[in-house]
Amino acid sequence: MSDPIPIAGDFLSLLATRQVSLTRADVSASAPVQTQATTVFAFHFAEGVLMAGDRRATAGNVIVTDRVDKVIEIDATSLLAIAGVPATAFEMARVLQTSFEYYRRSQLQPLSLPAKVRALARLLRENLPLTMQGVGIVMPLFAGLDHSVKPAKAQIYFYDPLGAQFQAVGYAASGSGSGTIRSVLSFQEQYGKPKPSEMNLAEAVQLALRLLMTASEFDSATGGVNPETRTFATIKILEESGVRTIDAGQQAGFLRA
Amino acid sequence: MIEEPYRWLEAIGNRREYVREQIKGGSPVFGASLPDGILLVGVGTGNSKVFELFDRHALVGLGHPADIEKIRQAAIDAAHTEAFTRAPEDVSLRRLVSYGLSPQLKTNFEQIFSAPILVELLLVEIGAEPDQDLLLRLHFDGGFQIRTNGIVVVSSQADPETAAQTWLTQIVAGKNDRKEVVDLMLQAWWCLTENISFTENQPPEADRQSGWRMAVSGKVVEIGWLARQSQRLARFEMLTLNQVGL
Repeated sequence: MSDPIPIAGDFLSLLATRQVSLTRADVSASAPVQTQATTVFAFHFAEGVLMAGDRRATAGNVIVTDRVDKVIEIDATSLLAIAGVPATAFEMARVLQTSFEYYRRSQLQPLSLPAKVRALARLLRENLPLTMQGVGIVMPLFAGLDHSVKPAKAQIYFYDPLGAQFQAVGYAASGSGSGTIRSVLSFQEQYGKPKPSEMNLAEAVQLALRLLMTASEFDSATGGVNPETRTFATIKILEESGVRTIDAGQQAGFLRA
Repeated sequence: MIEEPYRWLEAIGNRREYVREQIKGGSPVFGASLPDGILLVGVGTGNSKVFELFDRHALVGLGHPADIEKIRQAAIDAAHTEAFTRAPEDVSLRRLVSYGLSPQLKTNFEQIFSAPILVELLLVEIGAEPDQDLLLRLHFDGGFQIRTNGIVVVSSQADPETAAQTWLTQIVAGKNDRKEVVDLMLQAWWCLTENISFTENQPPEADRQSGWRMAVSGKVVEIGWLARQSQRLARFEMLTLNQVGL
């Protein structure tokens, strides 16, 4: 029998023909306590979308590290924010990074935003067995540039653990600290002056940092922001020209302003 | 036929002649290692000569479009599988060509009952410093030569290729400006396509410049740039003549 032919531009089918497996190990009842990553959120502001996350990873009541980057640049026009089990989430990010670039290079055109959104949904569905067992659960946020409108517009999507995708109108949040953040953003969107969607970059970054500070007051798994210890967040901006990172130095400057 | 060695040699010789005959009208392409990056230039129809392969790798070539496509896909598949199973830093042009493309091309060339692959290629890898760049000239029979600097010309005929490369190497020496180098490459492209000698009675620069400008009318000048310094993993971008200032 001849070897199967991969679907043009589909990296996962290429891996299948090379017999590189993405399957993960079965879980036993004695599985160790999982590492968890929280809290991430994204909201529209005047110049595009801001996506941010604290940098803490926990396992039970243990702080594993305060140096995790949970907002990941997938390609020049896509961002992924991960909440849940980092082992699964980082692997999903790696699959998406390679898949999107593989498609762009091999097909000589970028993948459309709907296809990118569905690619993540597909990975979440393939992770269903571990999700149903209560381990390996991932609830990500995704932001991408919609090139079907001129000028290209950044959009935010959120998912449920089974892979259903939803477009966020103003904002989305995920992880254990997300309740606090959603409440504040909802309040700001209704009564804020300016509303988050009207904010400039400095105001948006300042709001993002304060949101994480507030969330960390109520959720021990959220690392928060502390300028005195130079603990900042991961903040990335998706705008018409693509992705850019707001580094710790810039965050400190915006917080002082 | 194949059980008689001299007939096999004759068949291989005929095959070599056939391939050269088939690609002799191919439009020459160029690559140069510069301090800020690697420049690739070809004249085609858009997405036909210069291609991104991976984060730090690119390809420029001439030949049958279907065969260029076959090699391009094989290189992209191998690079991305390697990057995924190991790491992007482990994708190396030497390994990609030495253990992947070159043996495949050689095997195909020596299978005299199958259709030959009609390509002449240049594959490049950008390094952290200019002396770590790799410019790898790959032939249709799987043979290849590696350079770590300078300019490489890819033409369907060996003698004009050598003459163009010698001329460009001399004239580009000390020039680091992308606009100047692209202009000189296109002058060399015009001389090669018009069969103008690089050593005797070469037209003055103004004529060479107006010559390439007229000759590229209705075609697409494909300019690829692999940037040495970049915030992004993917260093490659396609540029237009306007973007390089021409």
